[in-house]
Amino acid sequence: MPNLKTELLREGMVVISDVKNLHDMLLIPAGAVLSERQIGILQAWGVADVEVEHSKATEETDPVAGLSEETRERLQAEIRNRFWDPDDSNPFFVELSKLLLQRRASKVTVNS
Amino acid sequence: MSAPSLATLISGIPSTLGSYGPVLKKIDAAMQSPQCNLVTLGEAIEIDPDLTARLLRLANSSFYGFSSRVSTVTEAISLIGIQQVQDLILASSIVERFSGISDEFVSMESFWRHSLACGLTARLLAMELRLPQADKCFVAGMLHDIGRLVLLSEAPQIALEIFTLYRQERLLLREAEQRVLTFDHQQIAAALLKEWNYPGSLIEVVACHHQPLLAKANVQQACAVHVADYLVHALELGSSGEAYVPALNLKACEKIHFHTGMLSAVIARIDEQIEAVEDAFLHSVQPS
Repeated sequence: MPNLKTELLREGMVVISDVKNLHDMLLIPAGAVLSERQIGILQAWGVADVEVEHSKATEETDPVAGLSEETRERLQAEIRNRFWDPDDSNPFFVELSKLLLQRRASKVTVNS
Repeated sequence: MSAPSLATLISGIPSTLGSYGPVLKKIDAAMQSPQCNLVTLGEAIEIDPDLTARLLRLANSSFYGFSSRVSTVTEAISLIGIQQVQDLILASSIVERFSGISDEFVSMESFWRHSLACGLTARLLAMELRLPQADKCFVAGMLHDIGRLVLLSEAPQIALEIFTLYRQERLLLREAEQRVLTFDHQQIAAALLKEWNYPGSLIEVVACHHQPLLAKANVQQACAVHVADYLVHALELGSSGEAYVPALNLKACEKIHFHTGMLSAVIARIDEQIEAVEDAFLHSVQPS
């Protein structure tokens, strides 16, 4: 499921995992349909991104969703090959790989 | 070629503070005086216009994030603290001291970008996770790979041997250092900082950044620098010669209560601050 940067969120997107601030306080529960007010709350707390349900709206805003399968696989392999110990049981590696893919995808989108 | 000892490696490095020496001496003298106050400390720093401009630039950047504009050195000292200002000057003096190293193995611009990014990330983690001495984490992060610069400047032939082995056998650069020298850049940095009389807390963090749980008195700061080094490698913010993102010690993350949910926000803050920090430490300041 795509992790969308907060500035790309739109009203009506569905949040699929709890969103907490750095102090572990729940801001938006999983399953919530985002309102403009809630997006404002996320921005006010400096939440960088949110996991939302895949939809037409996310395809339009998520740089990874806009990649061809071939390009996505190539970028994923490039990211993986840079790690000395690409361990899929390491949650930091898994989450970081997702975020790095978004960064690379944004560059591909900008350059294309 | 026989590998040099730690003592031989660091023996050729001068302990002077370069162009920052006079400022640090003035600050020391001002602090010894019974009449010491913010104004006299500010005057001590203002003898160096380049340093003054860098300090004000940093004080007004997102690195500190003060709500109002800082326009004088005195204000900057009162907000940042004299200890942090001294640390920033020492860090700048080290950038200066190692200038002029050939880019054959590592681009120096890239090396300092990696070092600064690691410093600011370690500081960010320490602040977010409420670890003690967050500003010390910045200096430790900035100096964590300084042992590599010693190798490149003092033993280029040995550096060539290490980089050749590293490329041929697909090792981590640190492993290649250990094979050739029997010690690595962590021990070299610790020996150098000890020689320069840097505080023991800083030396321990730098000496343990790849095995942070070995640190005794400063284990949280060592963990912050370890995690910061991993993130900065992954984000490709400069390079100290190592092409791979080294392994992350998950126990170090647990030790400082760093969890995956924080990654995205921390990365966004790194992106926000890196330019300001590079400007303050690496780029020349144009006189206004």
